[in-house]
Amino acid sequence: MISETTVRRWYVPVEVKTLRRWLLVSFIVNLVLLSIDMLRGGGMELKMGFLGLVLIGLLINTLPEESSPSSRNTSLVLGGGVLLIGLVRFMMTPMTAFDAWMQAWLIGPGALTILWVSSPPVTAWSTRTLSLKAVEYGLARNQRYGPRLRAFGAHLVLLHFVVLTLLPLLWILDIALSPGNALGGSLGGPYTGEHFSNMLGSDAFWTWMRNSLIVSIGTTLLGLVVAIPAGYAFSRYKFTGRDVSMFAFLLVQMFPGIIILVPYFLVMKSLGLLNSHLGLILAYCVTALPLCVWMLKGFFDTVPRELEEAALLDGCNQFQVFTKVVLPLSLPAVAVTALFSFLAAWNEFLLALTFNTSNDMYTLPVGLASMISSTGQAWGDFAAASLLVSLPVALLFLFFQKFLIEGLSAGGVKG
Amino acid sequence: MVNVNFEHVSKRYEDGFEAVKGLSLEVQDGEFLVLLGPSGCGKSTTLRMLAGLEEVTEGTISIDGVTVNHLPAGARGLGMVFQSYALYPHMTVRDNMTFGLRMAKGKDRLSEAEINTRVKETANMLELSEHLGKKPKELSGGQRQRVALGRALIRRPQVLLMDEPLSNLDAELRHQMRQEIRRLHDELGTTTIYVTHDQIEAMTLADRVAILDQGVLQQHAPPLEAYKQPANEFVQSFLCRHLDDLVDTANTLLRSDAQEEGD
Repeated sequence: MISETTVRRWYVPVEVKTLRRWLLVSFIVNLVLLSIDMLRGGGMELKMGFLGLVLIGLLINTLPEESSPSSRNTSLVLGGGVLLIGLVRFMMTPMTAFDAWMQAWLIGPGALTILWVSSPPVTAWSTRTLSLKAVEYGLARNQRYGPRLRAFGAHLVLLHFVVLTLLPLLWILDIALSPGNALGGSLGGPYTGEHFSNMLGSDAFWTWMRNSLIVSIGTTLLGLVVAIPAGYAFSRYKFTGRDVSMFAFLLVQMFPGIIILVPYFLVMKSLGLLNSHLGLILAYCVTALPLCVWMLKGFFDTVPRELEEAALLDGCNQFQVFTKVVLPLSLPAVAVTALFSFLAAWNEFLLALTFNTSNDMYTLPVGLASMISSTGQAWGDFAAASLLVSLPVALLFLFFQKFLIEGLSAGGVKG
Repeated sequence: MVNVNFEHVSKRYEDGFEAVKGLSLEVQDGEFLVLLGPSGCGKSTTLRMLAGLEEVTEGTISIDGVTVNHLPAGARGLGMVFQSYALYPHMTVRDNMTFGLRMAKGKDRLSEAEINTRVKETANMLELSEHLGKKPKELSGGQRQRVALGRALIRRPQVLLMDEPLSNLDAELRHQMRQEIRRLHDELGTTTIYVTHDQIEAMTLADRVAILDQGVLQQHAPPLEAYKQPANEFVQSFLCRHLDDLVDTANTLLRSDAQEEGD
């Protein structure tokens, strides 16, 4: 038997529950914003912001309680205070997007508090003792609106991260589309495609693109040819030195790239592979291999041994077991590995800068960097080129998305 | 005549663990033999050595008079059903069943028409006809089990091996499949070796049971004989006492039921 008191104690209007959660979020956000504001300096408005923060903190602790009109009044007063501070700060500060957004984090919570605390359900609950029927109705109402409000709040927070992620990209897009070569861009101003046509029309860009493609695709193919058998062997066979070599693979990864740069350079020089595609391909394979092998080994580990045994009984030899059963099942992992090697080679800068010093052997990252020199900074062209360079990678990701998710989550889930 | 012969077969692993110790066992043509024992008794290892998935340390295994110790698994003419079904997830039911047929080389290779008739035949026998185009993940547990059975049977194996094929099914399905397996065996007459730890399965399916413990054969006899004349203390406790307990439990339930009705 559930006693009536339990039901009563269990019922808190969804508005109050949600406020408690959202006010906590806005407290944290305001704390972050204030510390940013502190860096900017500022006297009066900073103090007001701090007062707002304290008020929100108090408000969290004095939200309405059951059958307690005074708690409701306190909440209303504090909410009003937060709203007022937000409005005054809004008047005081200049009208930039950042400031407007910052004040919204005071005005919003304040207004919402007043609106919700004075709403009929909360008023009824906090000013008198509800009948059991009303409580039951309230619980049903909570269940109806609770999830929606929670989802809305979560999305509001996530939206911030989306903006934060997209902002640099938008900035680059702005620079690339603005006339002139300034770093500031011309927000909303006249736009031009001149930087894009500059880059697409320049021979250098296409030479770099060709070099990058050759090196990246070469790295991917060579990497797969080596990593797939290696991963399979590590996963399935026990041999002397197996654990040691697995660990050695990881060990290589632990050194910062700069340490192996000089030895690499000497090796490449003695092999006569400086200023060549092959030299870079070999170097990139060596750097990308450990992770690829570990990733593939991890995936092969999840392919049940019984499947291979079934194939053996069906008349496959060891090689056919691999090509006809294990490999088709591992395509997602292979795709992830391929993408990883490609990206590693596509984005690499340091080795390419060191090994390939002649203009016509530059890869895209090196070529891009060469556009910003002490003699001239073509930021507009640079931005346009960076966007053009990211395009193939973005397309690859779109194409492989399904595989990627499968490949990365494999192992956690048994199929 | 397809009989299977184990002569003084032993299996020792690298770490020195001896899973099977000097096993001698004869399975006659068309016989349904159940290897019964608690887990870790060596019954699965025995089956896997016969299948060619584990090497034989000592002794010889022969099928139809031919020593198969060093024959690759695919060349032994066996069909096997695994506990986890081990269906190829990326192939349809039809491809799962025909995979083995298509791997055959030389004069063993069947024509496409022949393969199709076999698929039709096997699918009819196992009531899989309407599922041939589906992937394993679209099937229920019982259906997957039947596909695994079909994959083993479609090759018309000399010997059919089953490694705890029913342990992943619920009680009702297990009961159904048990009858189905026995029916198939009576129809096809394939020599069958069946591994289980379930005494009831052994008693209801087997022509003869081979009871193992710690790698040693304890008794090899028809089920009823093993129950009536257990060869030693282990068989007595593992088989006889277990079955008696089951009967006792059933009787107690019936008695209390009768009493309640009497009240």
